Amino acid sequence: MSDIDIKRISYLAKLKLPSEKEEFYSISLKDIIKWVDNLKKVDTSKTEPLHNVTEKTVSIRNDEVSKSNSVDDVLSNAPERAQNFFKVPKVVE
Amino acid sequence: MKNSISQIKKALIEKKMSVGELYDEYLAKAKSGNNNSFNLVIDRENNISSINDSQNRYDNGNPLPLDGIPLGIKDLFCTKGIRTTASSKILSNFIPNYESFVTQQLLNDGSIFIGKNNCDEFAMGSSNETSYFGPVINPWKNKNSQKDNLVPGGSSGGSAAAVAEGSCVASMGTDTGGSIRQPASLCGIVGLKPTFGSCSRWGIVAFASSLDQAGPLTNCVEDAAYVLNSINKHDFNDSTSSNHQREDYLVDINNSFEKKIKIGIPSDYLEDVSDDILNQIDNTKKALSKHGIEFVDVKFKTTEYALSTYYILAPAEASSNLARYDGIRYGVREDGESLDDIYLNSRTKGFGDEVTRRILIGAYVLSAGYYDAYYRQAQKVRRLIKNDFQRILNEVDFILTPTTPNEAFKIGDKLDPISMYKNDIYTVPTSLAGLPGISIPSGLSKNGLPLGVQFIGNYFEEKSLLQLAALAEKELSFNE
Repeated sequence: MSDIDIKRISYLAKLKLPSEKEEFYSISLKDIIKWVDNLKKVDTSKTEPLHNVTEKTVSIRNDEVSKSNSVDDVLSNAPERAQNFFKVPKVVE
Repeated sequence: MKNSISQIKKALIEKKMSVGELYDEYLAKAKSGNNNSFNLVIDRENNISSINDSQNRYDNGNPLPLDGIPLGIKDLFCTKGIRTTASSKILSNFIPNYESFVTQQLLNDGSIFIGKNNCDEFAMGSSNETSYFGPVINPWKNKNSQKDNLVPGGSSGGSAAAVAEGSCVASMGTDTGGSIRQPASLCGIVGLKPTFGSCSRWGIVAFASSLDQAGPLTNCVEDAAYVLNSINKHDFNDSTSSNHQREDYLVDINNSFEKKIKIGIPSDYLEDVSDDILNQIDNTKKALSKHGIEFVDVKFKTTEYALSTYYILAPAEASSNLARYDGIRYGVREDGESLDDIYLNSRTKGFGDEVTRRILIGAYVLSAGYYDAYYRQAQKVRRLIKNDFQRILNEVDFILTPTTPNEAFKIGDKLDPISMYKNDIYTVPTSLAGLPGISIPSGLSKNGLPLGVQFIGNYFEEKSLLQLAALAEKELSFNE
């Protein structure tokens, strides 16, 4: 197993680990990855991955318009809103 | 012995008490909050119309299946207008404007919600110690060290503790790798995880979507059947919801089996376990043998890979599911100069240690260069685990295992994540296979703490599983 680049992984997960915690998570992640490494010895050359355990066909409803959330419902939990929009800091200059 | 749903309904029908009196009795216990089993208790005034409607139905002689029954709801189910936090800081201000499918069925059947049960943050934990609102305390005490506060198990720890302490008649939990069965076992109650695809996941805060399943925590097996009758329905809003014909789980629950039943006990599950745990299996075996049930030894080939598979797949799905918490549309926002800073700050400050750890594991196993070696390989091994169960269930009707490898432990005792993850060794394989499992109390440990056994049945065969559990329960019941 190669070394884990904790800075890269945390950025991929959109997390900014405080520097004093980087080692804590790094060690923990290494231990767990080492622990799950035993899967590598299982021969799965003839096995398909399993996504949905009951493998039942997805049932599809009729394509009819139904009443759903209103704009106010959707925005009711927004930390910041402006009119009918979620508000965020300026992205494009 | 606590009253069952059918006993309570009988008392309400015979007017030995009113719905309001029943509700107040449970509400008072929930409000005392000694075990921190609720994140939120709903005020009486917010339930008053439900109480009155329910009483009217009793007075008119046409009560609904769960009419007036006070229920706890794990704080992972979205409840319309009632704060739903997943026991996380990042959702600590979230008020859904819709009701989860499962809780809507319970309301349709007349039940009344006492409040939202504490749980592990985003259901990630086996001891209810990862909650942002503090740990839940198991109502049971070790008779040899009465002062110690013990964990109730997790992640549905608040649900289990609430039922055990008597602050609700039953509680709705969710189970991803054991989160209903393990706390039920450690709190001396019944916990049922239905087949994956039985009960809709719509409106449940998502952890690992290929594993999450809702189910009841109850005082007895019959109560589990009552709740399952209500919640086990097809739902178009969950693409994995099965549309098979559901049965009435109460009918025949107390009947004996018409055919000869064979139960497999996986001997590899019982290597290196304590006498306390072995006794549970022996007692169950003895009790059911009296009813002509045959027990045989079965051998799994994949047990040693189950936890590894789970701790790749569940964090991978969690890291994807939890990407939605970004401080923009709902939840707690931490300010930042740029949009990216808002994401980073909100997520970093909003998630606790265990959730952060699992997001990191998930991001790692899904990242470029590791996806095939970990995530895809785990999905393949998952199929081998499923095949292994199907092979065994071709030989036997049910499988009997311990629910947990140990009794309830002290709060703060298990700090190392891997030793915590091993708590789910008996429940995780069933979850990976998607099979239904039920934990029932089977006896007490040397320290006087409750322990449980798990019965596993075939896909969507909850009816016979409950029938078997009800039979075992009659033989194994113990007094507190």
